[in-house]
Amino acid sequence: MKILVPLKRVPDPELKTKIKDGAIDLSGASWVVNPFDEYAVETALRLLENGDAGTREGGEVVVVTIGPSEAAQQVRSALAMGADRAIRVDAEDKAIDALTVVAVLQAIVAEEKPDLILMGKQAVDGDANQVGQMLAGKLGLPQATFAASIELAEDKASVLVGREVDAGVEYKRIPLPGLVTVDLRIVSPTAVKNHVTPDAFAYGDGPRYASLKGIMAAKKKPLADKTLADYGVTASPVIAEKGVELPPARPPGQKVDDIPTLVQKLVEEAKAL
Amino acid sequence: MRFAFSLEQQALRDAVRDLLGRACPPAVVRAAWGADDDAAPALWPQLARMGVVGMTAPERWGGLGLGELELVGVLEEAGHAALPAPLLETTAVAIPLLAALPDGPVVDGVRDRWLGAAAAGRAVIAVGLAGAPFVADAARAALLLLERDGELHAVPRDAARLTAEASVDGARRLAWVDWTPSAATRVATGDVARDAAARALDRGAVAAAAELCGLGRRMIELTVDHVQVRHQFGRAIGSFQAVKHHLADAHAALELARPCVARAAYALAHDEPGTAVHASLAKAHAGDAARRAGRAALQCHGAIGYSFEHDLHLFMKRAWALAAAWGDAAWHRARIATAVLDHDAAPGAFHA
Repeated sequence: MKILVPLKRVPDPELKTKIKDGAIDLSGASWVVNPFDEYAVETALRLLENGDAGTREGGEVVVVTIGPSEAAQQVRSALAMGADRAIRVDAEDKAIDALTVVAVLQAIVAEEKPDLILMGKQAVDGDANQVGQMLAGKLGLPQATFAASIELAEDKASVLVGREVDAGVEYKRIPLPGLVTVDLRIVSPTAVKNHVTPDAFAYGDGPRYASLKGIMAAKKKPLADKTLADYGVTASPVIAEKGVELPPARPPGQKVDDIPTLVQKLVEEAKAL
Repeated sequence: MRFAFSLEQQALRDAVRDLLGRACPPAVVRAAWGADDDAAPALWPQLARMGVVGMTAPERWGGLGLGELELVGVLEEAGHAALPAPLLETTAVAIPLLAALPDGPVVDGVRDRWLGAAAAGRAVIAVGLAGAPFVADAARAALLLLERDGELHAVPRDAARLTAEASVDGARRLAWVDWTPSAATRVATGDVARDAAARALDRGAVAAAAELCGLGRRMIELTVDHVQVRHQFGRAIGSFQAVKHHLADAHAALELARPCVARAAYALAHDEPGTAVHASLAKAHAGDAARRAGRAALQCHGAIGYSFEHDLHLFMKRAWALAAAWGDAAWHRARIATAVLDHDAAPGAFHA
């Protein structure tokens, strides 16, 4: 079973964002794998292994990223976790938009023919939440988004995806090949089932830490450097960033003495009622 | 010549920093203060799974066969987290010491029994060199490597009598070790034992220096955070020069110590003739720098820095303990002086 995991590098979301000259200042930013994409890598690995025995049960995890040469570092971290090989398509972050990404991934899927495409539900920099859905649409593949759990059928012909919705958990079974985007809880201890890892086995909460051995092995794993032209794509973004600014400073809050005054202010000043 | 850590060495260090950043907050260190002497070290299984515990062990015993250049970055992160686990004793000193001993019936038996177990995190190995009065982590070790009368012995913990000794760092477990040498425990004699013990001392000094750099860095970080939010006279106290200069001086001392540690690690990894001098330079500088960072941190924190409830003391007391262990700064400076003034002089005893 081959699983393709597209991943994106993003500025470390734990660091404070700086704005300079109408744009987010990324000079000196530290970059990390988009957390949801990291969850997708973890999910792919759990689907292909016996977690209890710590053994891989065949299959292949291919990670792909579209970004500048520095993005290879984030790809290596996915390889260190256990992915088998990687593809980096060279492009500047700002030169591509979601449609360009989809066009590249479409070409890669046609070439790689994965059984399952697993990806983060969105990247935490732009929070667009578009690529997974558009890619499935363009490829004509079944999709299940925001997966909080996933179970690979014993015959490996379908996956049962649990999605957390307001009323509870919605389950969708999609045949493979298909596309699944994952949400935070997919990396909870028992969210991934594959009929190989015993049902009683509980993973640690969250994506795995790369072992030192994995980090060293990652250096020797294949990483193919490609260009947009290799996939017949030209960077012609239809969405352009015109400017970034902080929201206006909020006026300070007010303390009121009693409920009637609060209601009066909500009606007369805030016009919220 | 490019003298810098490789991307892979940095990646190993970053991975350990990530793990310890999430899994070893000050609460874990504080919990170790109240733990039993023989309690399993915190995070040992996670560190073993990640390959950190066995990183210096040869591959045939399940390790990664890595050297000091990979190890110092990892140890600096262990210091930064004040990791309450015997990474220094077991991974940095005991495993390489045992692995490097010449083959022989006793050595082979000890290695077969303990090296794989140590690399897998199932057994802690502690080290007691002749000049050190106490053995760190003896109570939770399964095996003790002990030097006496020019010989090295591998003594199962059960065959030794331990008397606990309080350390200034409550997360550190020290013990007097009383034991009886025998042919069955002897793993090296003569020049082999002397060279192995000397190399173990250098390894311990460099490893402690690396942890001290991490501890110093952490104390400065804690203090920088504090002085930005603590207001006095209507301003954050970090805006006052008297505070800024304290911290800048402490930071500069640490930045001068870190290259010494890297250089000593290089010397160890390449078995250079001047390794002992490099190790002493590293330990003397790092010990002084970490103590200085602790003083500046305590001063800038004001009274709250003295309280048991504040995290600062967890790092400061570890720094005090490690600055004195594996030879203090004065001992290492004396060793450097001896090496500079008299090339033929043998290193003397040291005090831990």
